[in-house]
Amino acid sequence: MAKSTAIKVTNLTHTVTSNTGNLTILKGINMEIMEGQSVAIVGSSGSGKSTLLGLLAGLDVNTSGDITLYDQPFSDQSEENRALIRGQYVGFVFQSFHLLPSLQAIENVMLPAELKGDKDARKKAEALLEKVGLSHRLTHYPNQLSGGEQQRVAIARAFASQPKILFADEPTGNLDEENGNLIIELLFDLNKSQGTTLVMVTHDNELAKMCNRQLVMSAGQLTEKSL
Amino acid sequence: MSFTFRLMLRDIRSGDLITLLMALIISVSTVTSIGLFVDRLQLSFEQESANLLAADRLIRSDELISDDWKLEAQNLSLEQAERTSFTTMMFAKDSLQLSQLSAVSDNYPLRGAYLVDDTLFGTGKSTADSPKQGEVWVSSRLASLLNISIGDEVEVGEASLTVSNYLVRDPGSSTSAFAISPRAVMNIQDLAATNVIIPGSRVRYSLLLAGDRETLSEYEEWVKPQLEDGQRWQTPAQRGERIGDTIGRAESFLLLAGTLAVVMSGVAMALASARFVKRHLMQVAILKTLGATPKLLTRIFAQQLFALLIVGALIGLGIGWGIQEIIASLLSSLVSTSLPAPSVDRLWLGAATGFISMLVFCLPLMMRLIKISPLSVLQPNAKIEQNTLFVYVIGFIGMYGLMCLYTNGILLPSIMTVVIAGISLLVAGIGWLAFRLGRSLTSGATSGWQIGLASLYRRLVPNLFQLLVFTLIIMLTLILIGIKSSLIADWQQQLPEDAPNHYLFNVQANQIEQIDNETTQLNVEKSDWYPMVRGRVTAVNEDLVQDLYPEERGEPELFERELNLTWSDTLGQGNELVAGDFSAEGLSVEQEAAKEANLSLGDELTINIGGNIVTLPITSVRTVDWGSMQPNFYLILPKSALEDYPANFVSSLFISDESAQPFYRAMSQFPTVSILNVGDILKQIQTIIGQLSQAIQLVLLCILSAGALVLLASVRSTLEERLEEGALLRVLGAKSSLVRQALFVEFGALGFFSGLIAAIGAEACLYGLQVFVFNTAPSFHLSLWLFGPLIGVGVISTIGIFASRTVLKVPPMLLLRGL
Repeated sequence: MAKSTAIKVTNLTHTVTSNTGNLTILKGINMEIMEGQSVAIVGSSGSGKSTLLGLLAGLDVNTSGDITLYDQPFSDQSEENRALIRGQYVGFVFQSFHLLPSLQAIENVMLPAELKGDKDARKKAEALLEKVGLSHRLTHYPNQLSGGEQQRVAIARAFASQPKILFADEPTGNLDEENGNLIIELLFDLNKSQGTTLVMVTHDNELAKMCNRQLVMSAGQLTEKSL
Repeated sequence: MSFTFRLMLRDIRSGDLITLLMALIISVSTVTSIGLFVDRLQLSFEQESANLLAADRLIRSDELISDDWKLEAQNLSLEQAERTSFTTMMFAKDSLQLSQLSAVSDNYPLRGAYLVDDTLFGTGKSTADSPKQGEVWVSSRLASLLNISIGDEVEVGEASLTVSNYLVRDPGSSTSAFAISPRAVMNIQDLAATNVIIPGSRVRYSLLLAGDRETLSEYEEWVKPQLEDGQRWQTPAQRGERIGDTIGRAESFLLLAGTLAVVMSGVAMALASARFVKRHLMQVAILKTLGATPKLLTRIFAQQLFALLIVGALIGLGIGWGIQEIIASLLSSLVSTSLPAPSVDRLWLGAATGFISMLVFCLPLMMRLIKISPLSVLQPNAKIEQNTLFVYVIGFIGMYGLMCLYTNGILLPSIMTVVIAGISLLVAGIGWLAFRLGRSLTSGATSGWQIGLASLYRRLVPNLFQLLVFTLIIMLTLILIGIKSSLIADWQQQLPEDAPNHYLFNVQANQIEQIDNETTQLNVEKSDWYPMVRGRVTAVNEDLVQDLYPEERGEPELFERELNLTWSDTLGQGNELVAGDFSAEGLSVEQEAAKEANLSLGDELTINIGGNIVTLPITSVRTVDWGSMQPNFYLILPKSALEDYPANFVSSLFISDESAQPFYRAMSQFPTVSILNVGDILKQIQTIIGQLSQAIQLVLLCILSAGALVLLASVRSTLEERLEEGALLRVLGAKSSLVRQALFVEFGALGFFSGLIAAIGAEACLYGLQVFVFNTAPSFHLSLWLFGPLIGVGVISTIGIFASRTVLKVPPMLLLRGL
């Protein structure tokens, strides 16, 4: 069966206003990502990688152009609808983990399911934490966990809503090699086992090479790197 | 359990919601406790004053009181009693004496109690009874003048009554100088039999009423339009003007204190909300990335705030009630009378404070919180949408509204708003200059001093805001302390323990020496003798008074009635010359009376004295201390103008309880001399003043505690940044002592400047309050200028160091990881 298009971007432009005037960060980007693919977006600092990721995930509104997620127009939706679509399709893993400090590990993982009103949130969260090897840390708070452990909790949380697309922003950027590898392993395992589309911003060439595709961001333009 | 409440419980566990809840509880409990307590005091004052009136309300009439009025009072279930007062001759054996007689109904008095004794000139015991039919209670003075004792018969008109008690205090009796005949009281049912009241008799009929405030107001509205000339509606406040004045000032103080509590509570709520929002920014952004829609977040926060409001308000109301109970019980051990229970409906004020605080301080910030862009998770520097003006405007309107609600007016809130705005400008100006100077002195910072001073400028805006909060709290504290001291001192000065409590009237010149001898022997303190001649001002600068004031109403007091005139070569005690020359051959006029009648130096007044006309220019204006209890006069004439007229003399004396009996016995040699005893009223006033002074101190304590909590909240609001900086310094090798010194310098400087600005503000405010609100003489408060900066440095650096103690104890790694 032919795979469907997970993300389609047409003529995407994004301009921000700064003290020195308007600055165009993304200049007419076009791309398509198929369901189940793993895609790395690479490029130098300040090239606009994270801005693109934010727009793809509907965290910000682009200046012009179109973004669709599973054929649903996304970029021109209201904040309310974008949040609903995010809740339905999207998971996130961040460089700085972004766990809620006031919640225990298990409660952090339960959040996405709870937001959907899932009554089995706790059971599912326990299972996910077990999958990432943290069944012994359920009631620990983020500041009681190491960086690697925190990122594993973040991955468990990202998969808790069974997302179709997982966005990861430098997922190993704050981790040592050993923990980084563990995280990469986990991400790709879950990508395969759950058929999730993985879109990742990274500086790590090794990590980028593990993806199906590499897109290079440079001066606001995106080019495909041939593998 | 819903997601909202699960999130809320988790937030409570982390302590963030607790800060907000605490602020709400402080808000509600402070306003509630002060509101309830003030209400309780007001009720108590009303009761005390009602004792002077013998009722809650009274209708006085020169004519018989209409039966319709009594019927209406009965329909409204008001308690009612009657009193008929008149002057009549009383006969006993072969003596007779003009007496002031009251005939009262069985349930008289409705408030307060008679003081009677079974020994002549006894000090009296309280009794709930009134004279029974066939009985009469006579004052010891009347008994000695008539030469009668208990069991004897006296005749009043055609009726014969038996003396059954000596009357010591007659609640509700008039204390005017015209009611100075010796007193007696009888049962109203015997009145008809006396046959002394005939058409044309000068009689004063009173209908006394008691009941709850609402019903009395309803009755007042009904009856007032029907009052005719010679009929008056009286309230306790009108009866004891001096008490009214004292209570008025105390109420102003308590109102001010309560309003300040409202302001402090508002600041506490605003600070706690800001902290809550700051700590939840990332949480909301993360929830948004996880798919939480703005609608869902709005619902979650609205439900959380509502739950918080209910819990906070209930706990706050409970604590508020408890605090006022504690204050009241502390007070009850200090004063003999117990305070009446507060009105439960006053609780709504506390609840409304909680609701409005939540609405104006919390909700706008929460709404902004919900608007945070989810992009913040990728760009940690993304900030909440800036619309601070809106938040400040809403906060200001809310604070102003709360103050108006609390004070039931706009004057005090408006004054306070202007003052706060002025102080804010002052704080911004002085703070900016001082912090900038601090920075320029500290380039190349290496010592704790330099780091501390440099931090002040580095965090300019938050530090200026904190400086404002500190300044306001310290200023409010200084103002309250200032007012409290000056009010209490003023009261005590006004009514010293040995203030004169008796007046002697109708003394003839040839009796003076003898009376002086008696009082000297009894060691009684007495004022000078003042000659008294009665006269009426008939013209001003040759214009007749009736032409100047054709309407009866609006006539200045100086022209309204016959005045007691005196002459004197020297200014009496409590008199102060403000214009002219007292020794000149002319009139000396009291300042307020002159102002009311629009008189100034050089104006000529024409006075009719017993049919003779005297015209004199005004040569001096003086102020009079009406509270001194000395004989005081609106007009003082030169001796030459009055010496040929027959004069009575008047003097005031202080008679202690021990010397009362011998004094009255001695005075019985002078049956024509009238004695007016104002001791009971004075004692009551002194009791109330004592009670008020205690109450004010306790309320002050209450507010100071709230102020300290607000300071703590304010310090906590910038704690994280300071912790981070401290941890970094320690990571970079700074010793704990250096970090401590830097913190001490930073907080100490904030404290010093806020204390200094607070002293400037407090001095200005005290001046305004003394002159315009409390009507007392303004004074300079050196202590404010010393204590302001001292309190500032001491309290703020202590609270600051206490709140930041973790930065010095916890390993820096833990701190940095937690941030």
